Amino acid sequence: MRPFGYAAPASLAEAVEALAAGGPGTRVLAGGTTLYDLMKLGVERPTAVVDIHHLAELSGFDTTGRDELVLGAGARLADLAEDPVLRRDCPALAESLAKAASQQLRNSATAGGSLLQRTRCGYFRGGPPYPCNKRRPGSGCAARDGTDRGHAVLGTSESCVAAYPGDWAVALLAFDARLDLLGPGGPRTIPLSALHREPGDTPQHEHTLADGELIVRIRVPVTATGRGSAFHKIRDRESFAFALASAAVAVRLGRRGTVQDCRIALGGLATRPWRAHEAERTLLGEELTERSALLAGETALAGARPGTHNGFKVALGIRTVADALRTAGRRAAS
Amino acid sequence: MSTGIKHGALFATTVEVACTVNGRPVLLLLDPRESLLDVVRERLELTGTKKGCDQGQCGACTVHLDGRRVLACLTPAVHARDADVLTIEGLADPDGTPHPVQQAFIDQDALQCGYCTPGQIMSAVACIAEGHAGDDDQIREYLSGNLCRCGAYPGILAAVRQAARATAEG
Amino acid sequence: MTDPARRVPRVDAADKVTGRTRYSADHCPPGTLHAMLVPASVGRGRVVRVETEAARAVPGVRLVLTRLDPEQVRSPGFPQSGSGYGFQSLQPLLDDRVAYRGQPIALVVADTLTAAVEAAGRVDARYEAEPVAVTLDAEGAHTVVQAEEFPGIRRFADIEVGDADTAFAASPVQVDMTFDFGPQHHAPMELLATVVEWRDGTLVVHESTQNTGAVRHGLARVLGIDPARIEVICPQAGGSFGQKTWLQPHVAPLAVAAARLGRPVKFVMPRKQTFLATSFRPASRHRMRLGADPSGRLLAAIHETRSQTSRHDLFASDYPSITARLYGIGDFRGTQHLTRTDVPTPGFMRAPFEHVSAFALETAVDEIAYATGRDPVALRLDNDTATDPVTGNPFSSRHLAECLRRGAAMFGWAARTAEPGSMRDEDGALVGWGVAAGAYRASAAPGVARLRADAEGRVAVDVTGHEMGQGLHTAVARTVALDLGVAADEVRVGLGDTRSAPQHLTAGSWGTATALAAVHAALRRLRTRLGVPDDGPVDVAAAVLATGRPEVAVEAVTRAPGQSPQAVDRLHAGLSAPAGPEYRGFSAFSFVAHFAEVRVAVETGRVRVSRVVSVVDCGRVASPVTALSQIRGGVVWGIGATLREGSEPDPRYGGFVNADLADYVVPVGSDIGRIEVAFIDEPDPLLNAPGVKGAGEIAFVGVAPAIANALHHATGRRHRALPIRLEDIL
Repeated sequence: MRPFGYAAPASLAEAVEALAAGGPGTRVLAGGTTLYDLMKLGVERPTAVVDIHHLAELSGFDTTGRDELVLGAGARLADLAEDPVLRRDCPALAESLAKAASQQLRNSATAGGSLLQRTRCGYFRGGPPYPCNKRRPGSGCAARDGTDRGHAVLGTSESCVAAYPGDWAVALLAFDARLDLLGPGGPRTIPLSALHREPGDTPQHEHTLADGELIVRIRVPVTATGRGSAFHKIRDRESFAFALASAAVAVRLGRRGTVQDCRIALGGLATRPWRAHEAERTLLGEELTERSALLAGETALAGARPGTHNGFKVALGIRTVADALRTAGRRAAS
Repeated sequence: MSTGIKHGALFATTVEVACTVNGRPVLLLLDPRESLLDVVRERLELTGTKKGCDQGQCGACTVHLDGRRVLACLTPAVHARDADVLTIEGLADPDGTPHPVQQAFIDQDALQCGYCTPGQIMSAVACIAEGHAGDDDQIREYLSGNLCRCGAYPGILAAVRQAARATAEG
Repeated sequence: MTDPARRVPRVDAADKVTGRTRYSADHCPPGTLHAMLVPASVGRGRVVRVETEAARAVPGVRLVLTRLDPEQVRSPGFPQSGSGYGFQSLQPLLDDRVAYRGQPIALVVADTLTAAVEAAGRVDARYEAEPVAVTLDAEGAHTVVQAEEFPGIRRFADIEVGDADTAFAASPVQVDMTFDFGPQHHAPMELLATVVEWRDGTLVVHESTQNTGAVRHGLARVLGIDPARIEVICPQAGGSFGQKTWLQPHVAPLAVAAARLGRPVKFVMPRKQTFLATSFRPASRHRMRLGADPSGRLLAAIHETRSQTSRHDLFASDYPSITARLYGIGDFRGTQHLTRTDVPTPGFMRAPFEHVSAFALETAVDEIAYATGRDPVALRLDNDTATDPVTGNPFSSRHLAECLRRGAAMFGWAARTAEPGSMRDEDGALVGWGVAAGAYRASAAPGVARLRADAEGRVAVDVTGHEMGQGLHTAVARTVALDLGVAADEVRVGLGDTRSAPQHLTAGSWGTATALAAVHAALRRLRTRLGVPDDGPVDVAAAVLATGRPEVAVEAVTRAPGQSPQAVDRLHAGLSAPAGPEYRGFSAFSFVAHFAEVRVAVETGRVRVSRVVSVVDCGRVASPVTALSQIRGGVVWGIGATLREGSEPDPRYGGFVNADLADYVVPVGSDIGRIEVAFIDEPDPLLNAPGVKGAGEIAFVGVAPAIANALHHATGRRHRALPIRLEDIL
């Protein structure tokens, strides 16, 4: 039998030690909803796992702080989705959680693990005979000339067009979340925007964590803009499906109804959680209207490079952004 | 058990896990790759929990782990360590009286082939306990992680509505 | 049926809600080993070499089979060639050919499932790959004329009534539309599962199937053994919808492995393989020409089809059968083609032909309604017919007009404004209302019922038929209970077991008609034996005691109207023998009218089916509780088939890309709005004594065009392909 090791460290510090001791084939096991799934498919073939799902020091979260929300990486998505402060002060975050997966999966999946959720590209998950640069670097990309209806239109490369599938990271990105990490080299903090990589020539490298480094907590700056936020998700059925397009948006309106602050992040459309700064700027100082919202959407999708079957995602993305802005604007005005 | 791998003592290839299943203490020696689903079905012979996809996409394997609904197929069995596992077999009263959700499924004919039913019921019990059975749309949404290919959704909705009302009336 | 005293709850519900019901995979005899298949990863070609060393090295592995002996294992044959048992004729592991991606190239058996999965992943194969053709238009796909391939077989022949081409050309109003329907998969919740065990020379098979008879006799043919030494048991299948119609090609290899190892072997097919290695609804293309006069009277129809089959079998189609009969169209032509592609042989999936045929016809009828300015319900009523246009015989019963009228009233159809885009809801979403009708042949097969009553008043019946969730246990129990005046939950019903009654394929909506005809006959015989009147409540215990025996057992064998005794021989040989829809002197169909309401958010392409009203003529309703669930389930299927489900063939690698339940999108609870169902509940006077037709298939026929017609009403856009996804709405 392929050797397979399991460690259940008693503390975060022990987990970091175990990861270092385990070497390159060792992976972190949290809720299991991505890693364990991909192990069953044979796409992930770790030689050992370090299980952190039981570590109490990771699972707490505090949304009562004046300056920032502090969310343990091991907090369960279902618990976060129910948090009354999140629902009131930053509905986009709560909605992104509530619309993710199913309640059963949200009871297992963790706040930190969810950020590292891997693509749903059928050629990546399907295994042989499909070439996949993400799964087997250098083998090619079956999606580029294949069934790419669900694939990305932003941030793609010759090597990979796989969409980042998650919702939670998209919403966090809109609110400038930061990540506390711990690894063999000690602790450090990075902005969430620096976590995910675009595929480029190395789509197998999806994030910037160092070997043996763990996400410990997520910190989200508290902003009044959060109240005027919304997470909009368009999918192939009304629930329990990955996004074809999603938008986490937030606006703060001034006295005359002009936009003072604006956040737009996209999901389902890009190879990584995608912040649309340019689109945000088009709204600053403007009134939020049907027209300005569409313009923001158009700006957000301006760089889109659709493939064979996903051309509709450009129009869909534009309208998803505009739709989400409509909801956010309503909330901001009330 | 011998490890045969060079990770040192930190890593085990076989893991001893103590838990309770339907209130009964159980001690398991596990390959850490085994799923909770395969363990309850093949080792504990609690076959009421069903394998519909083994990939977290259908909900047929829903069980409760420490009172929360999870997918047994995507739960490594080692995650049951020191936990209480509840499967469909443990839901009724010990005297055989069906759980109100089970009775509601019978009353509303909320099933056809019955294969997804244990998962639907475990999910519905949790849905009501979570407070997610407030109205029809909420029930539909919070049970959407449980596919029913026979299309018993209207009956399932009616059953959860009935059971939620019964629960609320205490 | 509305009499609450006759409301019999589903008799197997209590077991199903407690997890007590045992499906095939729930059997685990002592010493059971676990099997896993290794699927071919090329779409077509030849296996050059299979490396099994690494797999054999996995601790706990007992056997790795890569080739079976052709002296010991043969093809099961293909049913449509006359006397086969397999969903396809191809028996894997007999040679080096790969006919489709996913075809098993090795079978691994191990002590544990973990070891079997691990070892299967370590089997490494080298192939000589050949170009694949998996779509209708692919290079290398080969098209044949169906009628020429099946000379003299009426049900596969073209249908020609009058001179449709001339009549169409002369029609003042003409519609000419081409439709494309993608392949779809059954995706029952229960995975294909088999537990095989040799007990004292007898092969005992727990197999998830709707045809234990074919599994038994198919295994006998494949393995060359006496069917008397094979028992196949499946009292409950976890959904099937046509997937589990015939012998699966992995069952015989499992039996070989179990024999070699002297241990029971269990196999549960991974979900992905169920999308690659089983049958499916084939892709089909339909050209539908419909001619009418300016008043909307339908004058001519020409229905030409081309559907997908495999290289190794011709899966014959039956598309024009309902298009020729749904209305009184005087001149009709239906011509069918088959296109050979590199896939496992496609097969029956709920309303296999009628679902898409109804879509083509009922979309065209909606076009005629708009072209002639007629109301779509009124136009359909005007084109109703009491006689079968194909045979000239009367329908045994036909209440389609009543379905349409009652449905229109329940739905509130009169409030509809005809102009597309003319209705909106309070949130600004476009509202569309659509209607479509459907028909499905009323068939029946030979059946056997064995009824026993004992001196303690217990009644048990074993009968030809399988339970896949449609409620056959309940229909049988209720029939016996109402007849004898006993409680339904005290009637023991045995289904899907070759040990207790000969078993026939339960499909095509003939299951209830078949089983109840036999049960009805057995009840008459029991009453005679008990010496009680031919109807009225019976004190069973007293009547049995009065005979002086502890138990009275009777058997009844029934045939569909006009069937010869050879049909019973076929039943006993595990071959299918359904009759209908044409019987001597009449034709028999179930009918339905569906009314659908959609709400469309044009900006994002979001479509919700907020309401469906379905009125069904399925003869007498044999089990009101379960029939209601059947119809609702058919409507849910219709919503899925219209807006969600499409298998995506992979033109480069063969197989299907979206081979799981996340990417093959079936409806969830949030997709389903209100579904209201009514039954005509008039017994069919000719088909069988209980007066039942079929319900499971008709429920689904016509839902898709009702929704698509509603979409057209909402947006003005006509849809000519399924599924209709949001990019088609945007």
